Amino acid sequence: MSTKDLGHAATVVREERHGDFETKYMRINVGPQHPSTHGVLRLVVDLDGEQIVGIKPQIGYLHTGFEKTMENRTYQQCVTYSNRMDYLHGFSHDLAYVLPVESLLGAKVPERAQRIRVALNELNRIASHLVFVGTGLLDMGALTPFFYTMREREQLLDIFELVTGVRMNFGYFRVGGLYRDVPEEFDGAVRAFLESFPRMIDQYERLFAKNDIFVNRTKNVGVISRETALDYGLTGPSLRASGVPLDFRKAAPYSGYEDYDFDVPTYTAGDALSRLLIRVDEMRESLKIIRQAVDRMEPGPIRDPDRRISLPPRSELENSMEAVIFHFKLVTEGFHPPRGEAYVATESARGELGYYIVSDGGSMPYRVKIRVPSLINLQSLEPAALGGLFADMVVNIASLDPIMGDVDK
Amino acid sequence: MVAVTKLDLAAATEAVIEKLEPLGGVMREFQGMVSVTVPKANIVEAVTTAKDGGFEMISDVFGIDYLTYPGHQGKRFTVVYNMRNPDGNGRIFLRVDIDDGETMPTITHLFRAAMFMERETYDMFGIVFEGHPDLRRLLLPEDFDGHPHRKDFPLGETPTLFNEGRFLDPAAFRAGLIGADPGLTGWKGGAAKGATSEQEFGQGAGMHGKESGKP
Repeated sequence: MSTKDLGHAATVVREERHGDFETKYMRINVGPQHPSTHGVLRLVVDLDGEQIVGIKPQIGYLHTGFEKTMENRTYQQCVTYSNRMDYLHGFSHDLAYVLPVESLLGAKVPERAQRIRVALNELNRIASHLVFVGTGLLDMGALTPFFYTMREREQLLDIFELVTGVRMNFGYFRVGGLYRDVPEEFDGAVRAFLESFPRMIDQYERLFAKNDIFVNRTKNVGVISRETALDYGLTGPSLRASGVPLDFRKAAPYSGYEDYDFDVPTYTAGDALSRLLIRVDEMRESLKIIRQAVDRMEPGPIRDPDRRISLPPRSELENSMEAVIFHFKLVTEGFHPPRGEAYVATESARGELGYYIVSDGGSMPYRVKIRVPSLINLQSLEPAALGGLFADMVVNIASLDPIMGDVDK
Repeated sequence: MVAVTKLDLAAATEAVIEKLEPLGGVMREFQGMVSVTVPKANIVEAVTTAKDGGFEMISDVFGIDYLTYPGHQGKRFTVVYNMRNPDGNGRIFLRVDIDDGETMPTITHLFRAAMFMERETYDMFGIVFEGHPDLRRLLLPEDFDGHPHRKDFPLGETPTLFNEGRFLDPAAFRAGLIGADPGLTGWKGGAAKGATSEQEFGQGAGMHGKESGKP
């Protein structure tokens, strides 16, 4: 293999002669700061003309060492870090973090807290899919859908701001429940969204799903077969687009997902078109779940009443010495889950997300291992893009929906 | 419908555990999580057994460093294989205990998904997977020195170490940016003065060599 440097842009990695023709395989560098790579993803691509013959992702530009940091924070403090990985579907990480800790502690989360968690998680899933649809089509050159989807996402971010005080990086869930109850306006805001959003989905479908240019651009592009998807560990909507109906909300229900009536949309083609359309279908299913969650929401406590896990209410601190003692202990050192290990697989907007938590009986987790979906899903870029055109690679990245904060942890 | 799946699953788990016992597998259950510890020599066979027994997908491969775990006896590291069935409702954890410096056999020939997982374990713990086709660091820079998820890796504002004795000192870097005196750290404050050439600037922002400022 000879390597000839062609400046910053490309390198010739191999030259072959076939009769009168000379073939040059060219190695080019994409990113790390390329508008279509959704963050800082660098790809080293080997090209035979326009055809991709090799693709290697180079990642880690956003590596923050969250796992190690969380091993040096108390269990409640870790909620600050979890949602910063997947910044588009932050509630999914919050939920995935608190579930194994609650299972270690044996905490009992009240029903109202469960309903609020599910409603927020699904609203956030819609917000994440909206960004996916908007930026995915933006990558293909369709500018308009981005503005439409951002308009609806704005409505969702307003709801999150109403509940948590911030629009991203929420840190709203707590081990044993929630930080505080939702405000009174929450119900009305969610119902207004439920009212208006189905029409918007129809609008998106009119805009692109039945648009010939879009369909021709994505159909049979980046096909991942069922077997390849399973071999490469693909999960989430991208896997379901390849014909595997795996959804952890159905398969191994958590947070009361077994009570909700919803379907798992599945496509069989496994191409970029299916991966895009399945997210639109999932938004409709999420709407069903949210409607059931807000309908069944009853007034009640939002935290485990166990004083060893949850902070006592502010009012008790003024006249109960015992409450002050519990408050002091929780704030200074936090609670101590018993020794053991726990893992709960959850379904984020991107796939299987789970925190493997090892407790040594102390107030900080001994080891946190985050099974992030984007990192494992990114491996599937190779089978999807190999043999395809370079221009299709951008479609493939967009359709696999990696969030680089989620990839690099 | 659901009950049938659950029964099958319990039977499948039972069958896999039974087959793992001749391989030296020791089962333990904690809050419904089934973990089987197997000797290192049999791990590839154990993963194959689990794969054939219905746990056809691998969710994760990762390490745990038990160096400072209170009361821990035995080998320092544990490599955990998190496997599940394609339906997603069953899960089995295979564990291998190894000492510092021991290598692991790769399972990338069984699951392509393990490519990144083994690279990450190597990156974070320094556990070498023999036979991995492309064992490089995954998340950290290629010339990073050390494996940060080991429990003896220093925390806090310590200089980041790179190969050949180069290091990045955060205090000196910040001092350089605001033009303050970096003290004994050797930073010249080039960035604040807008210096661009390498002669004025030294070896990059806050990057020092062991002897001459160059690797």
